[in-house]
Amino acid sequence: MTEISKLTELRKLMQSMERTLGLEELSPVERDIYYAAEELSKTGREVRTFGLIEHTLVSSVSRPTFFRALKSLVQKGYMSQSGSANRGRYIVHAPK
Amino acid sequence: MQLKGWALDTVLASSAYFAASILTFEVLMPLQNVFFPEYPSHASLLFLPHGVRVLAAWLLGWRAIFALLPGVFLVFAMVGGWDVFLPNRLLAIGIAVTTVPAVLYACKWAGWDLFPSPDRKPCWLCIMVVGIVTSFLVSALTNMAFGSSMAEYIAFLIGDISGLFFLMLGLYLTFRFIDRRS
Repeated sequence: MTEISKLTELRKLMQSMERTLGLEELSPVERDIYYAAEELSKTGREVRTFGLIEHTLVSSVSRPTFFRALKSLVQKGYMSQSGSANRGRYIVHAPK
Repeated sequence: MQLKGWALDTVLASSAYFAASILTFEVLMPLQNVFFPEYPSHASLLFLPHGVRVLAAWLLGWRAIFALLPGVFLVFAMVGGWDVFLPNRLLAIGIAVTTVPAVLYACKWAGWDLFPSPDRKPCWLCIMVVGIVTSFLVSALTNMAFGSSMAEYIAFLIGDISGLFFLMLGLYLTFRFIDRRS
């Protein structure tokens, strides 16, 4: 595991603590999508909706809920649509 | 490359252990003595280094033993001076660095794998449970090595458990502060 991966795992642990203690800003589905997007973004700069919806953490979420949560993540600044022509691509940002 | 990574892990884990110990002994314990002057034990009721050894073992696995060893040795030397080379002190150092990885691997062997994995959400309450179990073991084994009283044993337990919780909470608030600043 690289140093960055260790930091990511540590942050994920803290986020699980945040969720239990009710300190979070994101809903459980939004958080899962964000985790998955963060994971997928390690392999490339952009994350595709197609890959995101099939991720283990997100696969049980219904499509309407998934897209609603994705829209909310964009509004909250955790993700943004890629500037390229293809609308199904997103860029992951650090939480504000 | 791997050697460089291991060296960095050792520096980070040992520095974190040393810093948590300094904070515990130089800041928290004097406060404890002010607020609980009648408390009979000399042990800290908020022992942050336990949190460091639990998180280091969770992240590094068996390598945490070697990564924490310099920091733990330095803290024992700081507190006990040359007595750090006494057999019971060396035994206590060994107990401090090996117990958490041993419990985590025992859990994994029993089918409860808590180590980080990219496709799994970490469970902080499970880490707390491991921290509590190891605290019982470390307290019992350390008290055997030092021959301490029951009051010390209870103090070690309270200090370890609260230390793990507040270290994680502190880490969470630090991440949140950094995120807001960046």
